[in-house]
Amino acid sequence: MSRVCARDPDLAEQPLPSEIVVGPSSASDDVLRVEHIAKRFGPVTALRDVNLHLRKGEVLGLLGDNGAGKSTLIKIICGFQKPDSGRIFLHGDEVELKSVDDARSRGIETVYQDLALIDELSVFHNMFLRRERVHHPLPLLANRLMREDTRKALDDIGINIPRIDVPVARLSGGQRQAIAVARTANSDADILLLDEPLAAMGAKEGSMILDLVARLKQEGRVSIVMILHNYIHVLEACDRVNMIQDGVIALDKPTAETSVEELTEIVVNEYRRARQRDRVVDEQAPG
Amino acid sequence: MASTTGVSASGDPAPAPASSARRRSRAAGQDILGLVKRFLTLREGSIIVVTIIVAIYFTVRTDTFFTTENFKTLLPYFAPFAILAAGEVFLMINGEIDLSIGAVYLFTPFLFYELHNGGVPLVLGVIIALIAAAGVGVINGFFTAIVGVNSFIATLGTLFAFEGLTLIISHAQPVATPGAQVTTTTVNVEHVVNGHHIVLPETVNHISTFARVFGGGTYSELIWALAIIAVLQVLLSRTRWGLYTVAVGSNRLGASEAGVWVRLVVIRNFILCSTCAGLVGILEAVRATSVQPDTAGANAILLEAISAAVIGGTLLAGGSGTVVGALIGALFLGILHDGLVLQGVNANYLALYLGLAIILAMVINTYVARVRKGSGLG
Repeated sequence: MSRVCARDPDLAEQPLPSEIVVGPSSASDDVLRVEHIAKRFGPVTALRDVNLHLRKGEVLGLLGDNGAGKSTLIKIICGFQKPDSGRIFLHGDEVELKSVDDARSRGIETVYQDLALIDELSVFHNMFLRRERVHHPLPLLANRLMREDTRKALDDIGINIPRIDVPVARLSGGQRQAIAVARTANSDADILLLDEPLAAMGAKEGSMILDLVARLKQEGRVSIVMILHNYIHVLEACDRVNMIQDGVIALDKPTAETSVEELTEIVVNEYRRARQRDRVVDEQAPG
Repeated sequence: MASTTGVSASGDPAPAPASSARRRSRAAGQDILGLVKRFLTLREGSIIVVTIIVAIYFTVRTDTFFTTENFKTLLPYFAPFAILAAGEVFLMINGEIDLSIGAVYLFTPFLFYELHNGGVPLVLGVIIALIAAAGVGVINGFFTAIVGVNSFIATLGTLFAFEGLTLIISHAQPVATPGAQVTTTTVNVEHVVNGHHIVLPETVNHISTFARVFGGGTYSELIWALAIIAVLQVLLSRTRWGLYTVAVGSNRLGASEAGVWVRLVVIRNFILCSTCAGLVGILEAVRATSVQPDTAGANAILLEAISAAVIGGTLLAGGSGTVVGALIGALFLGILHDGLVLQGVNANYLALYLGLAIILAMVINTYVARVRKGSGLG
């Protein structure tokens, strides 16, 4: 490690990422709290020790480089994957999320990065996937009802999709994202997890989604965890920002107290430190 | 598509009164063209057209095709395949395939026979045999959805295993189907010939109500096929079962992320497919009044059922398919068989024509799928 010091004393004085671990914290109005979450995939450690909390009506931005563990964390909170260790609390009570259905029944809805849309199904069937309306007591799908509700939900969000009975395969990337977000917003959930909701979005469609998030925040009904890449979007749309580095949360600040510069610096420092580490290893290897 | 854009792009350089009428007629022509295209882009559209053309061809070329008598001959050529193909459609939409239906088709009637020999009443025997057929579906589903063996391999295994098991329990000997025996009685019937009353003895065949219901009656298999097709088409297009089947076949990961129980969906479709095969096995055994331990015949039936599903417009790749199409695919193959036989075509040519028909149908399906994706028609 002394060789690193010789190169850049400034950087060496900063603690290593493994040392900056945001510990468990909480607020009285938390809807969601996770403590000491860890997850490995074979030899790869995706999450080492993640602590995170989400307050009622809050929009929490989740930042982090590719492979930092953002999507894994989201998949654990939504019940798709089980953590190796750690605890999850909903409204103060510890829970074990057995499946996506289980998490959903507890009020957690998710928009995945890969959207989880079914190309061959129509827009309205996708909107209601796993929440289909049927003609009780017959198990027949109430298609007209679902069509009407879908139309209304999309109008509410201000997303213009001319035909909702066509397969979603025929829609643009932005339209597909809009449907995926509208699907979660249209549910009874009180916690929404959005995994890069602005990916593949044009500027106009992207701002529509941010408007939707702002509207949901205003209503105060739901709390949102949103993975974003664009720092400007984070500062614009979120109340608080958490940054994941190397499988831990390395920063937890209200967006009002941080800036694009600070967030950028943290990421750049992490990048430089990683490069120096690699160089040290390279130099030591032949000797 | 190219033709419609071509028309609008070329336009009329100088609009004249005379050309407006022409334009109107051209628009009407386009409407009809649009309707035709819309029909053809229905999943079943192209095969309906081809089936009608083939039927017309045989009606014109032979005197015997379009007769009630021939319709009765045609039935066993397509009704059993329609049921088998309908079950297979669900798995193919799932992106899986079930090759074991040939073995289940063979195994179920033998089990039914053994059960009846053991003193189980007829209808109860059918029910237990069908539950056993469903059990084969559970085995297929277990290896495919839970262990993760490719369904082609897993069901190839169960195909051989259950055909082998059938040979073992039957000692490779044909048996008479329980409850299907035809009894013959002689009755005296009075005829009037040239004003004279004469009484002549005639033999009359009787079959039991059980046999009449389970395949022995002339229209029994047809009624079973139509009822099953109707129920399964509703199951596919109007219930969650069908919706999740499409979802899993189209985007397995996405469906599972959305909370669909992918394994359950796959397993229950294997059960559905196997049960259909078991039922067809019993219907055919009752119709033929005997059960033959003919594994080669069973394999041919399996392949023909898959052909019917594919010709009907169901993609092997998964995500899309139709039960009604399977019925029409089976009807098409039945008409082809029957018509070629009536025409006196050498039986050796049948397989050749069948092969060409499958390839042609797949080419049309591929083209139609491309048009459907581009045209905005659902």
